[in-house]
Amino acid sequence: MRKVATAGGVAALVIGAAMWWAASVAAQGGGTIEADVKYNGAPKVEKLKVNKDTEKCGTETTIEHVVVGANKGLANAVVSVPDAKGATKAKGVIDQHGCKFVPHVVVMQPGELEVKNSDEILHNIHTYSTANPSINKAQPKFKKVMTEKLEKPEFVKVTCDVHSWMLGWVAVLPGLGAATDNNGVAKIENVPAGKHKVEVWHETLGKQEKDVEVKAGQVTKVSFELKGK
Amino acid sequence: MPSWAVLPDKERWNLVGYLKTLAPEAFKEAPKKLELPKEVASSEASIKRGKEMFEAIECHKCHGTDGRADGPSRPELKDEWGHPIAPANLTKRWTFRGGPGRTEIATRLAAGVLGTPMPTFIDSVEKPEDIWHLSNYIASLGPERPSYATLITVTAARGDIPDDPNAEFWKKLTPSTIPLMGQVIQDPRNFNPSVDLVAVRAAYNDRDVVFHLTWDDPSESKGDGKQTFPDAISLQFPPQITASTERPYFLMGDANEAVYLLRWEQGKGVGEATANGPTKIAPIAGGEAGGKAVYDHGQYRLVMRRPLTASGEARPTFRPVVFTPVAIQAWDGGAGETGTRMSLTSWYYLRLEEPQSSRRFVIPPVVAILTLAAMVLVVRAANRAR
Repeated sequence: MRKVATAGGVAALVIGAAMWWAASVAAQGGGTIEADVKYNGAPKVEKLKVNKDTEKCGTETTIEHVVVGANKGLANAVVSVPDAKGATKAKGVIDQHGCKFVPHVVVMQPGELEVKNSDEILHNIHTYSTANPSINKAQPKFKKVMTEKLEKPEFVKVTCDVHSWMLGWVAVLPGLGAATDNNGVAKIENVPAGKHKVEVWHETLGKQEKDVEVKAGQVTKVSFELKGK
Repeated sequence: MPSWAVLPDKERWNLVGYLKTLAPEAFKEAPKKLELPKEVASSEASIKRGKEMFEAIECHKCHGTDGRADGPSRPELKDEWGHPIAPANLTKRWTFRGGPGRTEIATRLAAGVLGTPMPTFIDSVEKPEDIWHLSNYIASLGPERPSYATLITVTAARGDIPDDPNAEFWKKLTPSTIPLMGQVIQDPRNFNPSVDLVAVRAAYNDRDVVFHLTWDDPSESKGDGKQTFPDAISLQFPPQITASTERPYFLMGDANEAVYLLRWEQGKGVGEATANGPTKIAPIAGGEAGGKAVYDHGQYRLVMRRPLTASGEARPTFRPVVFTPVAIQAWDGGAGETGTRMSLTSWYYLRLEEPQSSRRFVIPPVVAILTLAAMVLVVRAANRAR
């Protein structure tokens, strides 16, 4: 009996330790938030003719105000968890390619933004911001990369005055975040377990907030529906 | 906001210090001072390098190949508040926001112009001193200040006067530069005129009087009739040129007194008209006027000719040496100018110089010889008397 009890105790201890270990790993890695952003309205993509630099920009272009994919999924929305800190410190990267900003929305944390010019023509990166100093820097064809600093959380509009249709956004987030894909889905990984506010932002459709509880090692789904103004 | 230059320097800096305390958050960090690269004096080599850089960094996208603000991105430019904004005409340095001097130009190139599409180029030239080469090149495109004329002289020409605005003949004549203002008397008014300056050259021979006008216009516009209209310009004269100092109302005449217009319109060419005010313009039938216009990189050059003598009450006859009242009106149709939305001058004078004849080569020597002869006579008479 005693032997059995001892064995049982050891087993319980081992199992307990294993569970604690598993739980702590999960807590360290955190959970995943999968956000599903929908828009109950018509897409708004402006088409226009290009009258200059056509060899680089093409003869037609679009301004993507509201891009809606399959199942009303809203692309280019930014889902973020403002209070989830301790994320990666990778630089934001925005490229000027084919006279468009690629990607349309850059998600980054306060720090450096790498501005590329892959077009071999003059662009100027012109930001509209209030928290960060605004930038209006020429980037001639021979200047392939420039590094700018965006040190405060803010949604920054980016334009190019040479090509007036060029429009991009840089989401400088205080915490974790991601932009939605063409199906309106954004995944944020490594969110610490616990209660969080999740925020969604879109350049023309505004903001929404929801409370979620993230469980370690699990995928928490949250869905938003933005309405036209 | 008036200028406070009346306050001493120190007081103004004190004010700056105080104003900054009203928004302490915004001034928490010490500002970074912009240091210009080491100055490069203007020289032929520097201007050449500046032109190369001008092309490499594509200044022409907004400012145009020849700097006359006619670049392909011009129509789309907006300031940071979303209002349309025109690029600077680099041949008119006195209109620059930051000032016309070389250092001022270099500063704007280095720092950009806040609130406008003009970006900073300090990190976007090949070498820092290129800022100065560019500045020297831009300064070479036009004078620092315009020198305005008060009288237009019509040169007496022997033989033919060419219709081609680009002919050598016209390059040899000195232009009279006349400033234009927006028309703000009669509705709809024009508070933001496009054409601010017309350079006038003129010549006459025994048959015709011929005017050569040069002005900058960022687009060659025939007009769609809704938002844009044909570009146009007109020279205004009293219908009869008399010795009287009384002239018709400068704003294209009035109901009582008409004016005569020698005008050119994009798509229509040169014509003559009578006007009794800016909205009452009647073409004169059987026009005797002609001419030719060219448009080149943001600039019109136009030749208008008509016979010196004219028949009827509506057309003036031009006579040498007589001070002849003249006024100018211009429309940049591409900027939506039409009708009373124009730029204009009040009355100026032009004067046909005395006909060139061989008399000036004959009379002075004759006078000299006669004087000499008289002197010789006087000397002889004096000698005889002794």
